[in-house]
Amino acid sequence: MKKSELTLIGKIFEKGGNAFLQTTPGKLFALFVNSLVSLFDDNRNLRTDLRNVMMQTFFTGVEVFPVLFIVATLFGSVVIVEVISIMSKMGFGSVVGSVLSAVIIRELGPIFTAFLIAGRSGSALTTMIGGMQINSEIDALSSMGVNPVRFLVMPALFGGSIAVFMMNIWFSVCAIGGGFLVGKGAVLFAGQVMNVQFTWDFLFSSILQALSVTDFIMLVIKPLVFGSIIVLNACYQGFCVKRDIRNLPKATSRSVIYSFLYIVIADAFFAALYLVEYLGELNKII
Amino acid sequence: MNALRIENMNFSLNEVVSLDKIKKNFSYRMTHLEKSGKNKVLVERSILENVNFQLGLGETMCIGGPSGQGKSLLLRILAGLEAPNSGNLYYFGEHIPREKHTALQIASRQVGMVFQNGALISNLSVRNNVALPLRYHKRGTEAEIAERVNMALDLMRVREEEDKFPFMLSIGMQKRVAIARAWVMDPRLLLMDEPTAGLDNYNRRNLLPLIDNMRTLFKTSIIIVTHDLMMAQELGCKICFLENRTLTEPHYFDYWLHSKELFAQQFFRDLRNRGENI
Repeated sequence: MKKSELTLIGKIFEKGGNAFLQTTPGKLFALFVNSLVSLFDDNRNLRTDLRNVMMQTFFTGVEVFPVLFIVATLFGSVVIVEVISIMSKMGFGSVVGSVLSAVIIRELGPIFTAFLIAGRSGSALTTMIGGMQINSEIDALSSMGVNPVRFLVMPALFGGSIAVFMMNIWFSVCAIGGGFLVGKGAVLFAGQVMNVQFTWDFLFSSILQALSVTDFIMLVIKPLVFGSIIVLNACYQGFCVKRDIRNLPKATSRSVIYSFLYIVIADAFFAALYLVEYLGELNKII
Repeated sequence: MNALRIENMNFSLNEVVSLDKIKKNFSYRMTHLEKSGKNKVLVERSILENVNFQLGLGETMCIGGPSGQGKSLLLRILAGLEAPNSGNLYYFGEHIPREKHTALQIASRQVGMVFQNGALISNLSVRNNVALPLRYHKRGTEAEIAERVNMALDLMRVREEEDKFPFMLSIGMQKRVAIARAWVMDPRLLLMDEPTAGLDNYNRRNLLPLIDNMRTLFKTSIIIVTHDLMMAQELGCKICFLENRTLTEPHYFDYWLHSKELFAQQFFRDLRNRGENI
């Protein structure tokens, strides 16, 4: 359709769309669409793709496994001990599960996992792609007819998202499991002060009862979105390095900082979705 | 049919320059000037102007000239890594419009490029570097790919290094692996950026027959950007100079050696000063 044939709404969409694509989020979105489209190009090879995605999953997730275990266990311990002590003092021992599910599984678990992976794997990805830019390796790929988005971004996108999803579950398990053990010790130590029932059955069942269907959906969607943000931002910052090595450290720090920023913004968006759900439930009650 | 034909090609770069620098340096040939902040202007600086060029099938051509004139840039344009501002480019008789002038499009016309630094993928071994384009473009089964890779590694005499990573190789070996990687895709047109730069005489002497083999055995058309014009003489190919933003007519080494053109005289004087026996 020619420009002159566009309706007013069409023109607004065209201008708005073009303006959006000039911004960094717009470029990240374009990179996302490009990497999805590249899945269907003529050179698709399921076996190679699966191998690359698995390698990326390993690179992004498994190598952050031990750090995540320590952070999750300590974090879970702190949160569970704090929640138990405060709630028991206020006489709300029965809502411990709800608070823990909201804090660990719903909010801070995905955020912590995403932050750790952005700091470790996102920065590594930016450095790798930036180094390839400086070394003309990206140009070499293009000149061989190898699409850099398909070769580098697509496997990282899928591998990274799967890794964040898996690591998020691992984080929650470690935080609740490790937190339970430390919390149990705290209750035994200060049993007289804390007036709260604290057994594994109680903790596990109260957390499960507190989880809604939306929580389970978010348990899948949030890490996938966060993983995509980390990988796309890391790749984009790497591609921006061009051929100047002075840009590499700047790009790496931008990769981490902007990943944090975008993750928090996305999380705020998800929180808004929870609010909408909550308001809907409130309407039903009224 | 030509392997490559360029008609009236122009290329310019956008740069933000301070006004003072422009006042001091009148050599800027600006096609567009726009205010961009305090004391800064956006300059569209012309790099290549009215470039015309033809390369026959199976022909080899060297492009020489002083540093910073845009020789490597010209090669990048030919490989599709940069798009020209205007002009027509024909690869094997097919016109490539500006919107299709991308590296992926041009690579699909069997155009290969060897970069000055080799540009080997650093986290892949030599064998996997050479096999990469074959695997990506699904050129046969794994056994066929292995056979082709072996042939390329043997041809470039780097078979013994197949399990090494690029950082373990000398510059000369990296260049040979890069040529093997480009050759393995059976290019009809090969663009080489300074293939002999940084090589000692021994490696240089080894590299030239390899380039010659590609030309004579496989009928590959080759464009070589180089300062090493003795190579052009040894390969017996014509030389173009990139001078004053455009390409000169191609001539053999001896023509340029006795040419009255100032840039050619200057060039050969520099060669003699470097100790070349001309």
